[in-house]
Amino acid sequence: MTAQFPPPVPEAGQRLLSHEELEAALRDIGARRYHNLHPFHRLLHDGKLSKDQVRAWALNRYYYQAMIPVKDAALLARLPDAQLRRIWRQRIVDHDGDHEGDGGIERWLKLAEGVGFARDYVLSTQGILSATRFSVDAYVHFVSERSLLEAIASSLTEMFSPTIISERVAGMLKNYDFITKETLAYFDKRLTQAPRDADFALDYVKRHATTPEMQRAAMDALTFKCNVLWTQLDALYFAYVSPGMVPPDAWQPGEGLVTENAPAEPGPAATPTAQPAAFSGSDVPRLPRGVRLRFDEVRNKHVLLAPERTFDLDDNAVAVLKLVDGQNTVSQIAHTLGQTYDADPAVIEADILPMLAGLAQKRVLER
Amino acid sequence: MNAPTPAPSPADVIPAPVGLLAELTHRCPLRCPYCSNPLELDRRSAELDTQTWLRVLTEAAGLGVLHVHLSGGEPTARNDIVEITAKCAELGLYSNLITSGVGGALAKLDALYDAGLDHVQLSVQGVDAQSAEKIGGLKNAQPQKMQFAARVTELGLPLTLNSVIHRGNIHEVPGFIDLAVKLGAKRLEVAHTQYYGWAYVNRAALMPDKAQVDESIRIVEAARERLKGQLVIDLVVPDYYAKYPKACAGGWGRKLMNVTPQGKVLPCHAAETIPGLEFWYVGDHSLGDIWTKSPAFAAYRGTSWMKEPCRSCDRREKDWGGCRCQALALTGDAANTDPACSLSPLHAKMRDLAKEEAAENPPDYIYRSIGTNVQNPLSEKAPL
Repeated sequence: MTAQFPPPVPEAGQRLLSHEELEAALRDIGARRYHNLHPFHRLLHDGKLSKDQVRAWALNRYYYQAMIPVKDAALLARLPDAQLRRIWRQRIVDHDGDHEGDGGIERWLKLAEGVGFARDYVLSTQGILSATRFSVDAYVHFVSERSLLEAIASSLTEMFSPTIISERVAGMLKNYDFITKETLAYFDKRLTQAPRDADFALDYVKRHATTPEMQRAAMDALTFKCNVLWTQLDALYFAYVSPGMVPPDAWQPGEGLVTENAPAEPGPAATPTAQPAAFSGSDVPRLPRGVRLRFDEVRNKHVLLAPERTFDLDDNAVAVLKLVDGQNTVSQIAHTLGQTYDADPAVIEADILPMLAGLAQKRVLER
Repeated sequence: MNAPTPAPSPADVIPAPVGLLAELTHRCPLRCPYCSNPLELDRRSAELDTQTWLRVLTEAAGLGVLHVHLSGGEPTARNDIVEITAKCAELGLYSNLITSGVGGALAKLDALYDAGLDHVQLSVQGVDAQSAEKIGGLKNAQPQKMQFAARVTELGLPLTLNSVIHRGNIHEVPGFIDLAVKLGAKRLEVAHTQYYGWAYVNRAALMPDKAQVDESIRIVEAARERLKGQLVIDLVVPDYYAKYPKACAGGWGRKLMNVTPQGKVLPCHAAETIPGLEFWYVGDHSLGDIWTKSPAFAAYRGTSWMKEPCRSCDRREKDWGGCRCQALALTGDAANTDPACSLSPLHAKMRDLAKEEAAENPPDYIYRSIGTNVQNPLSEKAPL
């Protein structure tokens, strides 16, 4: 599942590593410690959590999301030049949005609401686990107090943020029938941010870690950050999976929710999620007449034009649809993408099958 | 250190338009009593010429328009409809023919296909031919429509059926769904009448009761589930019975512009009903200038014009205060909250109005026609 990384450099910390060696060593930390390897995360990914377990996760993780701009603002305040600040401040914009109702925190709130929470309850953070609060606060302190190099290096977990669809939050949550399409549509909007952020931070670390000690410090900072994420999942697992010891005052199933089945006006409500018409690897997908992939020069992005609709596409969808030509099978498309992105075609195929089925269900893709 | 400049609220930024509703002509063989065209229809002699339309399309593409809705009236009544469609294809614009399927529509269909037409939206007034033809005001319309639809799918063009729902056909919602499947349509619009233009005049003859509306919604939701992957059904609920208003045209001056047959550019097709707005013409200004600078587009764009309860509402950038034309028609002030919104102090009265009208026997239709002297209901006192 995880891409193959070079083995760790044994003498790291004793001699100055080349930029390539340093990057390999940093990536190795993620390959062994990033929280996608955590048992709780695997349960989430495989669709095996109960609704209340997903709720606990969404509620706790909100605190992490909410504190990210606080952390970034602390870091920003210490950056000595305008160019760096311009780059870093984009993270705050991404999270806070540039107006009400926009941004990563708001998207997380939408997710929490989507699983049934009352917005105010989530905002209050009164139900989160103490371990969540301690971990997140430790991260904010770390970034405020340690060297700039360490602070920036600690953000490098973004290098390990998943790029394949099924591993991303929206992809994982598709396995749960209590997550509505609206929740996901809102959530899956902007997941191209992480790679851009990580590229800059990695470059900074490579250029500024100029002694073996500094390189070691950068690696330790990244390890620390991995532990911040891991610890939060440990606590969730302990409280809500096994042995199920919920600390006093932490959220208990049933609390903080909007009353279910509140009387609503009739309207175009979400239809229950059902399994879409399945695609298989040997199918040849094609765009029917009346559906066109087009580059929109005014907005500088690809769009899928369809009857009375325009679909905004994320980078993954664009990559796939560019290969949908009425000739390639799904397996061939996955193979091509696997070569382009140096990834396992079988994993890619598993990811793009549901995406293609989703488009087929909207009648914008045929086979 | 300079004080930071606050980023402009996105509500104040003028986004690029996404859609152009090209009302090529007001001429139409049908006379539907809910027509969205204005009560005063443009005559043929006032219509823009071909070259002007081609220029408008070119300017639209440059502005960022992606979808062009070739509409009317009946757009195929224009002799240059094929040329206009070909221009859309050349510019990469997604062309959508919004047609009645009667008159000369079928005769031009193959040429439109060859010109690169992307999509056809065909109106159907009813399932039962007799009642459909009574609503559309044209004898023998139904067989023409069926023949037209058959040719659309035969050519492999994607077909959407559009059914405007009102008390005269609301019992036919299941029939519309079956018809869409039978004709091979990929989409069906079950669009409850929106009460502007001719529909406002005919409201008492068209307004269904709440139970009927609820039942139609239930039927559509069940059909969506049953026909998943086969037919996409879009549902537009009548906003007299809604909880929140719709973002009319996606928000005033945010997504859509509407060019009338004589070249007047409107933020929505009913905008002319609002007195005092200054509309610009494509004959005098470029489309880009009209979009960004014309007073009519600026009037209700964004949120700064809003009054309470919109002004401080969380939803103000979701539905943009609803429909200005409806606010004017029903409350007498276009800057009021659309009374379709449950937060409007006038909402309950609006709903009562609908209930009362739906409970009475329907009056006869006042059919749409060019040159009819219909009393403009907006010159009367606003009813709420």
